[in-house]
Amino acid sequence: MELGLIAIGAGLAVGFTAFGTGYAQSRIGAAGAGAIAEKPEVTGRIILLVAIPETMVILGFAVAAMIMLLLPGG
Amino acid sequence: MIIPMTRVQIVGHKQDMDATLRELQRLACVQLLDATQVHPGMHGYALAAEQKEIETLNYLLARLHALLALLPPLPDETPEPWDQKGLIESIQAELDAQAGELEALAQERQQLLNDAEVLPSYADTLSKLMPLTPVLTQLRDYETVAVLLNNPAAGLMDTLAAEMQEIAGPLSELVWDQVDPDHIGALLIFPREAAPKMNTLLGRLQVNPIALPESLRNVSFQDALVHIYQRLEEIPRRLKAIDVQLQESARTYRARWLGAARALNRRLEQLRARKHLAETQHTFVLVGWLPRDQLEPLRQTLEARLPQALVVDELLPTPEEAWDAPVLLTGNRFTRSFHFFIRLLSIPRYGALDPTALMALFMPLFFGLMLGDIGYGLTLLIIVLWARRRMAPGSGMRDLMTFLLFGSLWTIFFGFVFGEFFGNLGHLMLGLHPLWMERSDPDALAPLLLFTIALGGMHIMLGLALGIWQAWHLHQRHELWERAGKLVGLIGLFLLAGVVARQLPRGWMTPAAATVIVGLAMLIHGLGSVGALLAPVELLGVLGNILSYLRLAAIGLASVYLALVGNLMAGKIGVIWIGILIAVLFHTLNLAMGAFSPSIHALRLHYVEFFTKFYEEGGQPFHPFGGPDPFAS
Repeated sequence: MELGLIAIGAGLAVGFTAFGTGYAQSRIGAAGAGAIAEKPEVTGRIILLVAIPETMVILGFAVAAMIMLLLPGG
Repeated sequence: MIIPMTRVQIVGHKQDMDATLRELQRLACVQLLDATQVHPGMHGYALAAEQKEIETLNYLLARLHALLALLPPLPDETPEPWDQKGLIESIQAELDAQAGELEALAQERQQLLNDAEVLPSYADTLSKLMPLTPVLTQLRDYETVAVLLNNPAAGLMDTLAAEMQEIAGPLSELVWDQVDPDHIGALLIFPREAAPKMNTLLGRLQVNPIALPESLRNVSFQDALVHIYQRLEEIPRRLKAIDVQLQESARTYRARWLGAARALNRRLEQLRARKHLAETQHTFVLVGWLPRDQLEPLRQTLEARLPQALVVDELLPTPEEAWDAPVLLTGNRFTRSFHFFIRLLSIPRYGALDPTALMALFMPLFFGLMLGDIGYGLTLLIIVLWARRRMAPGSGMRDLMTFLLFGSLWTIFFGFVFGEFFGNLGHLMLGLHPLWMERSDPDALAPLLLFTIALGGMHIMLGLALGIWQAWHLHQRHELWERAGKLVGLIGLFLLAGVVARQLPRGWMTPAAATVIVGLAMLIHGLGSVGALLAPVELLGVLGNILSYLRLAAIGLASVYLALVGNLMAGKIGVIWIGILIAVLFHTLNLAMGAFSPSIHALRLHYVEFFTKFYEEGGQPFHPFGGPDPFAS
């Protein structure tokens, strides 16, 4: 039971942050694709902008790893 | 590395201006500057006498480009040299003599292609209407309109017939029938004077008449159909004949006209370059940026070619002026490929650090760490070696392949470190063991995460150290304090983490906390008035940057588990060849994702985490007068 809750907690930590990252990237990516079509020289900058929200899911992954590694029974 | 630049000033008599510009264009080593900005008291060169020649050159170039577009390109096209003397007159005469015939051929070719495209649909429509045409006779004062409607429009016919009777009277006729299961064909015959009102009616009812080509307007449908079939039969033969003629003309004129376009373009560049000059009554002054090691060869060449005519001096830029110097990046054959990734963002400013060499080291390393599999590395290496040879030197795709080449070598290296060959296939079939740890082992998670954080910490601290060095050299006081504060604060935080994790003695707690406070104080000083508020956020931001390197482990684990799932599924299938097929599919998918995703993430770690610590972007690329040649074959 406890192990299951730990696993669910870790899953939620990654799942919600992945959803947030995906949502942010979809908005930035759509706008970025338009910007690149107009000005191809901003490609690098758009990659940078699209990549920024990824920090959320990476932090989610870090929290999930901590939940699994540090909690007793994890 | 950014090539050191300097400014050169050339002063000479106006009669030597043309020869000087020609020579500079040939050497292609000087980027011209607006001389009046360097010497505000002087007058800029007035482009008045040259305007007519510039217009003629532009006109001839446009004409040449239009004619070259008509001629099919040839495999080997080396532009023929043209004598500058009488250039405009010679080209003009040649174009006048040849353009008419070529344009007529091209026009006919286009018409044939258009006919080949549209005539079959006319033939189709007319053949559908043929059953209705017996009612037609040659009526001099009557107009005939044919329409083809979709079946659901059948009810429209009654409306059309009623309104037509009203407009055109009893002398009009509407004949319609089902011409095929999907279409209704209709012929409208009405007195010619009712044509405007009938057109309005058809427009209102949104019925589009079949508009035959101009050449078929005044012939009967039967004749038109015969004509269309004859034309369709003739088109391929005529197209072939025209293509042969155009090929022949291309062999005669393409190289010649490419040479002419190059000569005209060079002359146009020479004239346009004059607007950068300053002038007195008898002299001209030219100022430009050039690589410092090119100054002496330039001086010697100009002295040899134009003896006693010019004064060539170095015009040393002030530090503020040097900040605006154009940037020319250089590197060895390996690091040069990584300029592509720098240009993708923005090249560094002159005087700032060029991170290409560091990028060439760390980007493939991060890539290899994420993918880390001997099988994938070898497969990628073979694909990249094959693809790279087929790409033009200097192209972005080849640069990308060079990165993947190094990345695949690191992938093989980390494959040995983690003992992976297509996931656990190496372990199962070849008895492969990891040099360090198996990533799929749950016990390996903590060391793997710590390793990536340590790697991230080292990379970020290297970025901060470079930032401090650069701020020191560029006399950027605030940036110096800010970056130094972050570095000191970060060291303090690492020491604290070491004490909390019991890796350092408890006695280190006080010095560690003191280091964090000192770092924060330096950061507050660097950030200015809002420093007290921003400093903790900034320090946490740097910590976030380091945690971002966890992706090196996360993406690697995703790749490992996908490979494991592929092998597991393949093993569960009873039939061996289906198992192999499933394994191949999984590993192909994993490799495709593995080549793409780690590339993007390795790039992101550089752009977002590493570069923000020191990179000064916004440099202007060096564009020397006279280069590169757009007409080089």
